[in-house]
Formats: sequence, structure tokens, C-alpha cells
Amino acid sequence: MFTTKSFIKKNKIGNFLKNVREHYIRDDISCGVPNCTKCKAEASSFLSETHINKCSLYNFNHFVILDTNIILDQMDVLEEPVISNVIILHTVYKEVKNRSLPIYKRLNAILDNPSRHFYVFINDHHQDTFIPEEDSILINDHNDRCIRAATSWYIKHLPANHFVLITDDNKNRQLAIAGQIPACTIAEYVKHLENKSLLEDKLSRKDFHTESKGKEIFPPHLSTAQLLNGIKQGILHQGTFRASKDNFLEGFINVEGFTDPVLVQGRSGLNRAVDGDIVAIEIFKKEQWVSPSEIILEDDGVSEEQIEDVEEKEKVLKNTTVQDSEIKPTGKVVGIIRRKWKQYCGILQGNSDGVYQIFVPANRSIPKVRIETRQADFLKTQKLIVTIDAWPRHSRYPHGHFVRALGRIGSQDTENEVVLLEHDVPHSQFSEEVLSCLPKLPWIITEEDEKRRVDLRDIDICSVDPPGCTDIDDALHCRPIKDGKLEVGVHIADVSHFIRPGTAIDLEAASRATTVYLVGKRIDMVPELLSSNLCSLRGGEERFAFSCVWEMDQNANILKTRFHKSIIRSRRAMTYEEAQITIDDKTQTDSIAESLRNLNMLAKILKRRRRENGALVLASTEVKILMDSETMEPLDVEVKKMYETNSMVEEFMLLANISVAEKILDDFPDCAMLRRHPTPPATNFDPLVKAGRHLGFDIQIDCGKNLAESLDNAVKADNPYLNTMLRMLATRCMLQAVYFPSGTLQKEDFYHYGLAVPLYTHFTSPIRRYADIIVHRLLAVTCAADSTYPDLLDKQKSSELCQNLNYRNRMAQYAGRASVAFNTHLFFKGKLNDEQGYILYVRKNALQILIPKYGLECTMYLVKKGETSIFEYDEETITQKAGDVVFHTFDPVLIRLKLDSSNIQHEKFTVQLVEPHIPGFSVSPLAELQEGMNEEGAKPVNERKRKSEETKKNKKNKK
Amino acid sequence: MPLSEAEKTFILHGVDENFRQDGRDREAYRPMELETGTVQHAFGSAHLRLANTDVLVAVKLEIDAPFPETPHEGKLEFFVDCSANATPDFEGRGGEDLAVELANTLASAYQSRQAFDLRKMCILKGKKCWKLYVDILILECGGNLFDATSLAIKAALHNTQIPKIKAVNIDGDNIEIEVSDSVSDCEKINIENAPVLVTLCKIGQHCIVDPSLSEEQCTVGSMVVAATKNCVSTISLLGSGSLHQDTLFQFLDFGCKIANRLNEALMETLANISVTNENVGFLK
Amino acid sequence: MSKNKELISKIGLRLDGRRADELRRIRCKMGVFAQPDGSAYIEQGLTKVLAAVYGPHQVKNRQKAQHDTCIINTQFSMAVFSTNERKKRPRGDRKSTEMSLHLQQALAAVIETDLYPWSQIDVYVEVLHADGGIYPACVNAATLAIIDAGIPIKEYVCACTATLANNEIPMLDISHQEEVLGGATLTVAALPMSGKIVLMEMSQRFHLDHLPKVLNKALEGCKDIKVILDEAVKNHVAEMGSSTGWANSRT
Repeated sequence: MFTTKSFIKKNKIGNFLKNVREHYIRDDISCGVPNCTKCKAEASSFLSETHINKCSLYNFNHFVILDTNIILDQMDVLEEPVISNVIILHTVYKEVKNRSLPIYKRLNAILDNPSRHFYVFINDHHQDTFIPEEDSILINDHNDRCIRAATSWYIKHLPANHFVLITDDNKNRQLAIAGQIPACTIAEYVKHLENKSLLEDKLSRKDFHTESKGKEIFPPHLSTAQLLNGIKQGILHQGTFRASKDNFLEGFINVEGFTDPVLVQGRSGLNRAVDGDIVAIEIFKKEQWVSPSEIILEDDGVSEEQIEDVEEKEKVLKNTTVQDSEIKPTGKVVGIIRRKWKQYCGILQGNSDGVYQIFVPANRSIPKVRIETRQADFLKTQKLIVTIDAWPRHSRYPHGHFVRALGRIGSQDTENEVVLLEHDVPHSQFSEEVLSCLPKLPWIITEEDEKRRVDLRDIDICSVDPPGCTDIDDALHCRPIKDGKLEVGVHIADVSHFIRPGTAIDLEAASRATTVYLVGKRIDMVPELLSSNLCSLRGGEERFAFSCVWEMDQNANILKTRFHKSIIRSRRAMTYEEAQITIDDKTQTDSIAESLRNLNMLAKILKRRRRENGALVLASTEVKILMDSETMEPLDVEVKKMYETNSMVEEFMLLANISVAEKILDDFPDCAMLRRHPTPPATNFDPLVKAGRHLGFDIQIDCGKNLAESLDNAVKADNPYLNTMLRMLATRCMLQAVYFPSGTLQKEDFYHYGLAVPLYTHFTSPIRRYADIIVHRLLAVTCAADSTYPDLLDKQKSSELCQNLNYRNRMAQYAGRASVAFNTHLFFKGKLNDEQGYILYVRKNALQILIPKYGLECTMYLVKKGETSIFEYDEETITQKAGDVVFHTFDPVLIRLKLDSSNIQHEKFTVQLVEPHIPGFSVSPLAELQEGMNEEGAKPVNERKRKSEETKKNKKNKK
Repeated sequence: MPLSEAEKTFILHGVDENFRQDGRDREAYRPMELETGTVQHAFGSAHLRLANTDVLVAVKLEIDAPFPETPHEGKLEFFVDCSANATPDFEGRGGEDLAVELANTLASAYQSRQAFDLRKMCILKGKKCWKLYVDILILECGGNLFDATSLAIKAALHNTQIPKIKAVNIDGDNIEIEVSDSVSDCEKINIENAPVLVTLCKIGQHCIVDPSLSEEQCTVGSMVVAATKNCVSTISLLGSGSLHQDTLFQFLDFGCKIANRLNEALMETLANISVTNENVGFLK
Repeated sequence: MSKNKELISKIGLRLDGRRADELRRIRCKMGVFAQPDGSAYIEQGLTKVLAAVYGPHQVKNRQKAQHDTCIINTQFSMAVFSTNERKKRPRGDRKSTEMSLHLQQALAAVIETDLYPWSQIDVYVEVLHADGGIYPACVNAATLAIIDAGIPIKEYVCACTATLANNEIPMLDISHQEEVLGGATLTVAALPMSGKIVLMEMSQRFHLDHLPKVLNKALEGCKDIKVILDEAVKNHVAEMGSSTGWANSRT
């Protein structure tokens, strides 16, 4: 059935080895074309007889064969369901895999879709199309030869059908045409397609470098060989380029061997590096080092040819850069080692007509992109996705192509889509396959189930959650047992009962990793039937649970712990508020109220004990946005209210998580899924310690316990919010907590810094976190309720899973915040408010102000463009002083907030000072303003007054 | 199997009459079969079968530092392994004595610059050089091991392809060497003058070459001559017998003559050997 | 790191172009050497092994002689050039000793040892090229060599490796490249006709759920190998016969 030929490769592992590999050539590989009489039928071929590729270049229906460069560069075109009946040669398939994994994954997605009619033909193992590698032929040429040979074979094999080779490689195309193979470039092909619609927009523009003859405005990049040589010799350095968010002519590169990131400035300094690229830089001599400019420069260029305004700005930058004490290593980008271009979200600048448009990415670190489109008028109203193809030397902006439109600018749906896309949140509908894994309704508890589970239906269990919560994954009970002891139970939704390992639903949940909460929208990790119904521990309904039950004494000491699967019936699903009222209302004496009171009492003890151990109480502002359910517009923004019951539930969840962590680590020392919170490096605390010192507090950071204590002591009577602010600062010093399999780290590293416990995991929210499902499965094995499966015990697999979970969690968190930020903006649209705020940081030219009411952080600039500051910045005490007003960190201020919508891409708050009043800078309070004349007239007067005052001030300064 | 006295006499008489046991005259070799490139993953290899004597030689390369006393030269190492397949006597460490003797003889035969120029194996003076491992596996012993081995080695070296050095990057003490990753882009070794070993046995009053296993038992004294083109690089006496001075010189002349003949035949064979992808190896 | 690499592509082919349940090409020859009582050479893909059998003969170390059975003495050896990186020694290390023992174990199961009291049979295997599945190739070669030596055996003993590709597909006859990229490898030596397992060894942990299917796959492999070896033996005998004249197949 097969013959063998071995070919020889050589690789280098310290020494030179000669490797020999087998290569089998087969006679059982199908061409994949349906109804081929010569080949055995191939079930996996999706090629279609009925589909017709209509390209006016060819007056016949045909199958398409693609060269590697088409797949690598034109994936956006291929993903459109226009070109079908495509044959991917295995030679090409392998090369794509070697060259770009993301593209390979996208290609696989197309291959898996039966409606796209793509097929992989294994030409390199087929007896007729295999070509042995010949000496002295470059691998590239060899691959091209294979592609042509396979195409020729197809033409001969099926004379009744037609085949067209698409390649952008000139040499390959010419050779193909010479060999009687119909061949063309993708651009030609798409241009002549009958149903191309707007496919041309999506063509990658990589090979269009030479079209414009404009002058070269960037210095050339060095060749790869020069770069590698330079790096090897230590002349050049390699690092990831990070563009500054505030100044488009500035960026940083973290380079090994330098503690500070290396600064690059100006057009030629950045030299076409895009945020995230791995670049090679040359570092200047120390005399040429400068300090970062700390000014804000925005790119308001409108076309790719004009560069005057950039030159202008470069001058500004030059003037502001000083060679003072804070100089940083400075250098310039001389070449790109690897581009990390992605797809970017944004809008069109929209101030020009024609096919060339300037795209403005939402992410301010990304430069504007020039694209070519035939639907500019439509796209101007849309949020769209664009990808970068190339950045030639003569173009001020990189060239890219349009990928797809997301929806109308400013609509809630579009914005949600943008947030989800930017944070890589998988949010497509659940597939049929996933949904088929769901249990059939009506769902009933069978006798079998009852036998295997502990029946707790007679116990008065209740759940306490935020209002409107439909995915209830925890419930509690507490009842007195003999000897004055208490039995406390935490009951967690038994999601792992419904989600079995290895099923489609399991894989989907593992990939999603977490439920993502946006304002007004929830992207479930598991389908709704589970998340809001069968798994949700709703009041009055019988549900499966995984219970963790403790025996405790009155001092909250754990005497006994047991875990088992159970059947429960929650008596009532309460909100925090309801639970609080129940506890406080002494007239209520039913068992639920009693158990809540007991729980609350125990929780207080637990909390006290935890804090004594050094657990940190950190603060962050979590706000809730009240939405109008019909218009989906934010009605109000408010800080989430906290009740004692919040803390009560939290304490027991923590306790359950800790108990479970201990148990699973005992039984699975190698592969228990745990959560750790690394101790932050001391330098992280610098801003906190500094801020504390200026306020007269000594913040101890040597260990969590001391930190907690010194935070507790940092209280000032006149500023009650100060402590909260300090805690917020402390929160920002922390590192992210992460999941990990226990076998990958030393036991000392398991520590959870924030909670001050040696072991921690997540057990209590399996409906919305995948990590909890894994923990449930592990725990189920330890209490003999379930059996293991291979991946659960595989350290490698667990480690990969954890990486995904950590990534998704982080992204979900960011997405949630981005959504809140957007809706806060929406809320402020057209409003003018005076708000109480606190100074978070004092900067050289601005104050960072936090408005706790909205959880909003904004910047108040102290200097206007082209004006001199009336403030004096004191570096010693970090204060800004104007007249007799001095701004310290954490000082309260009254400010006026207004949303500046002049740039819809970057709507931002403009902040004006109201109180304390500084003549010439502050504005008068809103109330006074309204008292005066009608608004129309008021402003100019105000403005004029301010101006005159300012000029006076300036004169004074000059004296 | 030890021979009886009568058998020995029979052999002796045969040699006397220049008509040996198997029909050869005194100067004749038994038929040989040679294949090169047998070991695909070695840089060079040869499989030689001389009647019942079966030798497999493979050449492997490593990058090494030259000896301080010879900074211009590469390195060459012979390693002989007597497989127990050949005889149960070689089991465990049983074959080691023979292996060491053979390896030493080979090493000294190749030591001369006229015989094999190691300077070609130097990459960077005093820092980097190629080290050639010539690994010899004795699979069957049918007499005349030395001759067979030396021919196989020569064929294997002829077959050896040393990768072409593309770049030598020197960065302080750290020297990186890059070679062409194509197998075909290689350099050959010049083996024109590499020595051929000839074993000469004195049976009765005569000298014979290529002794069979039974003839080796009848010999009163034997010696190995390593020679090419009338240059002798090594002479060594084998076994327990002794030779008279005159006989020795006579043998030496004779050995050189045979060596040249063998060498010519080998070079001709190697020149005509075709390069195929498919090896026959032991499947013949 | 490279563990993520797929051993079987989406299209169902392995890196070398085989399907999951296909063996590598097996080529073999019996009677390669004249001096041993039996010898054989086998190629499984690029793995190449020579085996030689001496005996039955007198026991060398008289004290070890058994009155009711014969001693099977095995030695496993690898040519120093057999691996990609040159080995320092051909034998004597722990791995070789273990291999020798395992080989002896497999052979002792099939050789009719009670026919040769006070005797010894030597089986030597020499690996010329190691490209995965060394032990199976040694067992298979030794089987052929023993048949060549005319020593009576109960049935063939064959060995094969198997692993689990992409964590779900059982895969047969693992090459060195696949060994390096993949996870645990299961080696099985079996008597394919009676279906008995003589030796089973795994390189790493297997989850119990996976073991049966991988084991079954390996046993299937042993059966396939047996068919190939059987064919080779028949061809060899026919050829030997014809050269001596009694088969009369050649005129």
C-alpha cells in the first residue's frame, strides 16, 4: 500500500547531526473532487459540484488552488464566503503552519466549514505529485514546483474540470502559465469576480509599495541579517515597542540590561514601529539622552502625504525635551524584528472623499491607518475593523485594508461588540453541538440521583445575591446542633454534573473560561438553560448542589469539614438588602432569619480573625449603572451599596474555597487547580509609600500584615475619604492573582497575599468560572462521587488550561471596566455637573482626580496649550501651588465635569476647577452660573473676564 | 574450532604448492563486497564483506577544539566494537583486547601527515576543528580482519561528506559556527593516500595474504603493513610468532606491492560506485 | 513546549505520511551470516537490527547449568553510531542491561526450553540504527534468528509500540520523532496467535481510561507483524530449499 523514501535533514543541537526521516508515499489519497471515478471517495471532502466560481477572467467554472502567499496575506478575503471550491495543497498547508499559527487556525476554521467547500489535498504523500527535494534548489522554489506539479496533475487527472492557480508570486505565476496552467493574481481574480461585492476592500496591500512616488519620509530599516548581526555584537538591542498613549511621537522599549525602558522620539526615532512590535534599536551615547517630554501630543494629520504638521510637532517635542536629571536611555528604532500587527477597532477620520481613507484606531497607541475602500460613505458611519498590511517609507501612515464593519457608531450594540472584540472575548452564539449537550426538559430528579446524593431538602437553605441576579451559584445554611455547636453549610451549584469532561459544552466553557459582565449584557460561559435555570439555585426549586459542610463552635472554629454532593431546595433567594433587613428586623424569628443571624455572627469572627492574620482590605470603586430597560440608555451611575451581608456571604465563600483548596491539594499534590496571589515586589509600592510619607504616615510594606496595619492606622479626621484613597492606591500596587496547577510551583509560592492564606482556590462560582468546574471535578473524585479523566491529571494540560483561564479572566475584567467607562461617558453626554472629587495624583502639568460617586478618574490640566502655568510644581512635596492654594495628594476638590464630544472616537471629560477658588483658573459654581443670566450670554462674559485676568497675571509673572 | 594436526598439514601443503584450501594462489584475495552510505544518518559509512568477514564503518562528525600541540589539525578517532554477533567469545568485554589492538594499529597508520592530512579538518586555528569519529563494528570474523577493516574505513571516509562551513562568528571566547543545512552542499575528504592494511602470514616457507580463519591458525608469524604508494606508515607484528630480519624485509616489499594493488582496485571501485538513495544493506 | 504539536494532522496523516494504524515498512532477511547458527536482519522503518543465535550448546559457566531446561543468554548492544548523537559505549549501561533482560523474558516464553536440558542458547542483538521502537525490532529480529537456527518455539513472539496521538487516537509503531513529540509510549511483546502478552512497558503514566484502546492497538500491531514475519520465513525456506535442490522451484 505504500512505498517509502527517506529524505535527509540536518539540524543543530549543539553539534551537527544528520537526521533521517521517513516519508511515505501513498496511493490511497483522494483528489477530493466529488464524483471522481479514478479516486476512492473521500468522505471529508467538502468540494461541491454545484458551487460555481464566477470569475470573468475564465469563461468556465473552476476549482481554485492557492499559493502560500495568498493564504498568508489575504485571509480576510478568503474568510468571506465568496471564493469557494478551493483546494489547499498539503505543501501549502504545512508552510502556512510554519509561518503563522494564527493564520493557520483561521484556515482550519474555513476548512471545517462544509459550506465553504475547501479541501486539503495531500500532494506531498501522493504517488503522482510527490517531488523529491533536489540538491541546490531553494525550499521556496521547491514548494512552488510542488504547487505547479499538483495543479498540472489535477488538470490531467480530471480533464472535464478546470483548475485555476492563484498566486502573487510573479515567478511562480509565469512558470505556471508557461506550463499551461491558468494562473492569476488574487487582485486580478477578485476584480473579475462576478459576486465580488466589496471584496476588493479586503485585499491586503502588501505588494503595493511602489505605487506612490512620494518622497521617502522615513529612514530605511536595516536588513534582517544586519539586525541579527548587530544584536549579536551588542551594537543593537532588541525589545518590544510600546507606543506612548499620550504622545504619538514617543515610545518606549524595554531592553534587557537597562532598568529603565529606552525612550525613542520623533518620526525617525520611532521609524514605523507600531505598538507591540519587536524592534531592534540603537541606543545613543549618554550625552544625547533626554527625559520623556511629559507633554501630550495628538496626531491630527489628515492625509498620508502631508507631513508639515508632524514636522511642526516634532519641533514642539524637541523644545520640550530637556536634558535634566531625569534623563532616560534614549535611542532610535533601526529595524523591525517581528511585526505584531493585529486587527484594530476604530472609525474613519472621514474628512476626505475618494477611495483612500484614513482610519483612526480606538487604541491611542496605534497610528492611523490608510485604507482603500469603495464604500467610504457607508463606513464613515460605522465602527470598523482594519488590519495593517505594510508601512512603506514614503507613507506617513501604514497601509491596511478594511476587514469588517461592526455597526453604527455610538450604538450600544456596536460598543458592546467593540469591547468584546478588543478584549478577545468569545461571544458567538453557542453552537448546535454545544446546545445538544444540554439536558432535556422537563428535568427531573431520578431515584438514581437520590441514591447518590445526600438529601438536604429538609434543611432551610437560602441564597443571598445582588438584586437581579439570575445565575445563583451559592446558597447557605446554618443550624444549631448538639452541644451548642453550629452546622454551617455552603451549597454550590453542581455544574460539573451537567458539564461532562470532553463534551462540546465542556470545551466551549473551557475556552470561554468565565462569564463576562458588561453593562446591560451578560456573555454566559454556559448556555442560559444551565446558568439561569438548572444550575441556578433558585428559591423554592430542587437543585443539585455540591455542599461543603462544617461543624463549628460558637467561636467559628472549624471542628469538622465534609464535602458531598447533595440535593437542596433553597427556601428563598434574597438580595443583600433583604437579608440585611431580615437580620436587623428583630421581629422575624423564623429559621431563615435565625440562621442568617448566626451566619452573620460567625462571619464577623471569621473576618476579624482573617484581618488579624494580615489579610488586606483593599478598596476600589465599583459602580453600578442603572439602565433604562427600554432605551438601553444609562439613567444613573452609582457606587454599589455594601451591606454587612455582602461581607457575610464573602466570608463563607472564602472559607469554603480555603477548605476545598486544602482537600484537593491533599489528594492531588500534582494537579490541583489552585489560585495564588504573588507578593508584589517592593518597588510596586513606591507610589503608596511616597503618598503616605507626604501625609505623615509610615506605610510598612515588608509584609502583608504590616501593610494591613499601617493602612488601618492611616486615618485623618478632617478627610474621611483619605483612608479609602490610600487603600485604592494600595490596590493598584498589587499583582494579579492567577490560577495554577499545584505541580508546577513550590509550596511557598502557593501563598495568597491579599487574603493572607497559604492555600486558596475557586470553588464557589462554577456557573460563571471554569476554574471552579475543574475544582468541583477534583473534589468529586476525592469524595468518591466521580472518577478522573486523563486531562484532569495531566500537569501539562492543566497548565495550559490555567494560562487560558488567567488570560480570559484578565480580559473579562478589562472588558467589564471598559463597558462601565463607556456607559459613564454615555451618561454624561450633554450634562454639566459639579462634582466632589479627590486628588489621586499630583502631576507636573495636571491633577489626577477621582470622583468616587461615579468611580471616575479624570485629568485636570493645569496648563493650557501655549500658556504659562500659574501653578508652581514642587517636586519635593509633590504639590502644586497657585497663590495661597496648595494642592496635596488626596485633597478634596469640587470640579465641573463636561464630556467633550468633538472627537467621537475619543470622547473625553474636560474638567474645570470649581473649588477651591483660584482666580483666573477656577470657574464659578454651576448654581451661581444659572442664577445669572440665561446661559447664552453668560459664557462669553465669563470667558472674557478670565482672559483679562490671565493677561494680568502673565504681566505680573514677567515682572 | 581448533584445527587438528592433519588439517594444519593439509593447509601447509596447499600453501607450498600455491594452491590454497579454497583454490586461491598465495597472493589472491577472496571476493569482497562493498557498499557505501549504508548508515544513512552518519556523515559517511561503508559496509564491507570479505568472504565471511563483515565490517560496518560509520563516520560521525563533531565540533571540537584542536589539541594545543597541533593547533592546525583536526582530530581523528577510531573506535572498534567487536559485536557478540561475530562470536560468543566477544560477549560482554570479551572482544575488547582485539578491538583495542585494531584501533591502535589504525590510529598509528593514520597518524602520518602523508597518509591522512588532518590540517584540512581545522576550522579555526587553535579554537575549532572537526573531530572525526570512525566507528568500526565487527559483525562477523572470517579471518583477515585488519585488511577488511582498513578497506572499509577508506571507503567510508571516501563516502564522508563534511558540511560546508558557512560562517564562523567570533564573539570573545564564544565561537559560533554555522554550516550549510543541505546535505548535498558538502566537502569530500581526500583519501588518495589513506593507508591500506595488508596482513601477511608466514605459513611454512611462504608468505600468503588474506588468510582465512583456519589459515590464521597455521601461521608461524604474521605482520601487518600499512601502506600506500610505497610509503609505509605502520608495521606491526601480530600474534605470538617471530620473523627473521630478512624475511621481514622481504615481507615488507611484498606487502607494499599488495597494498598498492588493493588500493588501485578500491579506488577504481569507489569511483564507479553509484550514488543511490536506496541501500541494500543486509537485505541482499 | 513542542508537546502541543499534533502527531496526526487534521487530515489523518502522521508526520511521515502514515495513517494511525499503519506500521512502518518492515523488511527482513534471515540467514545474513554464515558463522552463527541462526541470524536475521530486520528494518522497521529506519530502525535496523541484526540478531545472531548461537546454540543450543554446552553451558559455558557449568555451575549455572539447569537439569531440566536450557539457559537463554541474551545480549543487547547498540552500535555507537546508531543514535543521532554518538553514543559513548555500545553496551554495559543500565538501559542495555534492561533491554537484555526484557528480551530474554520475551524469548523464554516461546522457546521450548525443556527440550534442551544442560544447554545454553545465546541470542545477540545489535542495533545499527535506532529510530524509535528499538525493543520491538530486537524481539522481532530475535524471533527470526531463532527460527533460522532451527530452535523449536511455541509460536512467534512479536512486539510493537503504540501511543495516543492528540490525546484520543491510538497510534501504532512509533518513530523516534513521534516519541520525542508525543507523550507516553506503550511497548508490548505478545504471542499474537494465542493473544498472550509477554511483556508490557510504558514510558510514562497512562490514564487507565486510555490503556485498553492503546493496548488493543499495540496487540493488533503485533498480529500484523506476525503476518509479515511469517511471510518472510516462508520465502526464506522456499529459497533455501530451491538452492539445495529439493524444492525444485528453479530449473
